[in-house]
Parts: sequence; structure tokens; C-alpha cells
Amino acid sequence: MTETAANDMGLSRLSGARIAGVVACVPERAVGNDDLIARFGDQVAQVTRMTGVQSRHIARQDETTADLCSIAATTLLDRMAVDRASIDVVIFASQTPDHRLPATACLLQARLGLGTHVAAFDINLGCSAYPYALWLGTMMIAGGSARRVLLLVGDTISKIINPDDRATAMLFGDCGTATLLDAEEGAQATFVLGTDGSGGRNLIVPTGAFRRDFQRHPANTNPDDTLFMEGGEIFNFTLAIVPSLVDRLVQGSGLAIEDFDLFLFHQANAFMIKHLAKKAKLALEKVPLNIDRFGNTSSATIPLLLATDCRDALTNGRSAMVAMLGFGVGYSWGGCATRVGPLDVAELVTA
Amino acid sequence: MNELRAGLADIFEVEPSAITSETALTDLGWDSLAMVSTIALFDELFGKPINIDKLKNCETVADLESMAEEA
Repeated sequence: MTETAANDMGLSRLSGARIAGVVACVPERAVGNDDLIARFGDQVAQVTRMTGVQSRHIARQDETTADLCSIAATTLLDRMAVDRASIDVVIFASQTPDHRLPATACLLQARLGLGTHVAAFDINLGCSAYPYALWLGTMMIAGGSARRVLLLVGDTISKIINPDDRATAMLFGDCGTATLLDAEEGAQATFVLGTDGSGGRNLIVPTGAFRRDFQRHPANTNPDDTLFMEGGEIFNFTLAIVPSLVDRLVQGSGLAIEDFDLFLFHQANAFMIKHLAKKAKLALEKVPLNIDRFGNTSSATIPLLLATDCRDALTNGRSAMVAMLGFGVGYSWGGCATRVGPLDVAELVTA
Repeated sequence: MNELRAGLADIFEVEPSAITSETALTDLGWDSLAMVSTIALFDELFGKPINIDKLKNCETVADLESMAEEA
């Protein structure tokens, strides 16, 4: 935080949810400062005077944040005798996910034996993650979208530590936690959230994602570092999920299928969308396809459709009843039915 | 079964007469795209998902036909 005054920070007061239980899980292996003397010598005492860290728990090589959060969650749900089916949302907040994709929350939904009606997703935050996760979960409950939210928050920073860097090697420890948020009338919480991304470079792991120095870190083609897709399985998943996603969304909206002007499918594959549209008996002119020009742009396909093929239907005073349907990696799926337009802006630009 | 063969003929763009039980799928151009088309065909004809591992192990049209019988 640099020059931001406290009263510039976003404040929100929410009610309707309480923290019902918390379990934290640390790895078995504890590393005391004595174990670090061989590497850092006298610096250990010096650094400890500053940081106060005498001991920390460090995950095994094959043990991830998700493993720790999973144990924490199982303990929490068992202790509280929570019916797994009663959980509506799972949020995994961490900077050390299992994979770049899929979202770890999706994998944890299956590991924890939660229902497939669960909304599961990750948020990529570290030190500030918990208030953000509580805020999101509380909002969902306050807004009536959920009754019960499971927050899985933790990190195994040891995996991204340079063992020779004394500034960090002696400071961090590993832990995964689980928190259950329950609807409760009258329970109140106040949140202050803020962001100043101009400081992003001061606490950072530069590579491992997509902005990097390509001189020093050329793109690699190692199969473990690149996307794997089992097309047949994914197609099977879509056939199993998407028709009922369309039905449930239409029914839930209280409208008839004919009342919809547009069905915006995630542009997964033209053959697949045509098959799904035919199966759901949708008029093809209501199912725009732009994958021919843009490919499958992953999370961007639906807003890209809005900004391109649907533009005329949604601007200049026009609006349309729209069903938006996303499905894929995770597996995860989501639908939204709403009237869209007239939009103030709908535009495609080139970088 | 005739519908299945007709569908396979469409997928592989061959005359229906070219599809017999003994026809080897590799001779027809059996690849991941053909597999996805076959999944769609099964969905259309039988409305049921098929086991991808089994599908991958199919060698002849007869193998697909026996999967269709299970479907």
C-alpha cells in the first residue's frame, strides 16, 4: 500500500452468514531452525530475531496444498457431521494449485465426494485470500445463491522457494485449511478490500505462467507442460451435461424455449455445438457460431460472441433474451439466462 | 444395425456397401475425429454415452456393432 488513504478502500457490510467451523492441516514434517544452520550458519539466528520463525511444517514433494485442504475439509465435515450434498459452493483460494488447469476446486469437489450441483472455482490470491474468500462466500449466501459454502484456503509456498534465498527460505511454512460458512440470519460481517497492482513485481514468481523472458525461458513442448485433451471423453461429458444444462436453465428462467432469441454456446467445436443444438431442438439461427474465425478461445468464447456475431442484435436500441452456456475443463459448467441489451458498447478490437 | 452402418458410411464418406462387419476400421480412416463422430452417431441412435476405452479398442465394424448392442 503506498498512498492510498484508508477511506479510499472498498468497504462492504454483509449479513446472513456465519463461520460455522474451521480446520487447519499442516504437513507432518516440521523443520526447526537447527536444520537450517548447515545451509545458512549464523544467519539463522539473525533472521530469526527479525522473523520470529523457530519452526515450520514443510510439505513432502508429492504433497500439495490440495492434499492439505482435502484432509482439513474431511476432518471439518466429519466433525460437524455435515451432509456432503448440502454444500453449494467450493472456493479454493491459493497461489499453489495442483495444475495450471483445471481449477483445483473442481478436483476437490470430486475428492471430497460433493454433489455435481456444486459451484467450484479457484481464486488466485495469497496473503489477502481469506478475507476475499469470506467476502465471496458471504455474498453468495447473502444474495441467496447458496446456503452453505466451503472455503479451502492455503498454500505450500515451500514448493516455490529457492532454498538458498535466506529472505524467504526461513520464513515460509505450508498449511491448508477448510472453513464452513453457513446461512444464519442476523450474522453480520464487515469487509474492506483493496488492490494496488503497481506493487505486483515485489512479491512474484515470474515464470510458470505466460509472461516470461523468452530469451531465458523459451516456450517448451514437454508434454507435462502443455495441454492434454482426451477429445472423446470431453465430447461424452458434453453430451451428458449440456442438454440438461439447457433444460434446467430454460425451466429455471420461467420462460419457454421459444422465448429465447439466442443460445450462446461455449465455442468448443462446431460439430459438437451443431450436434448439441440439434439434440436440444434449437433453431440453428439462434445458435451463432464464430469458431470458424476465432477457434475455441476457452473462457472468452461467450463474450466474444456477444461482441461479434450478436452485436447487431444487442446494440442500437435492440435487446435479446439470451442463454449463455459454458462447459468444459474441470469438468465444470455454468449457464446464465438474461435479457442482454441494448449494450452501450459491443466491439471487437485487435491488439 | 443398418442405421449404424449408414451413419458410419456418412462419417467415412464411403458407399454404404463398403461397410461390412469384417471391414477394418483402420482401412476406413479411423482416427480421433472419426471417433468423435462415432460418439455423436451413437448418441443420436441410442441416446447413451459410450465407453471411450472400449471405442479405442475397436478394430472392425463388428466391434462397433457389438458396442451398439450393449448400448
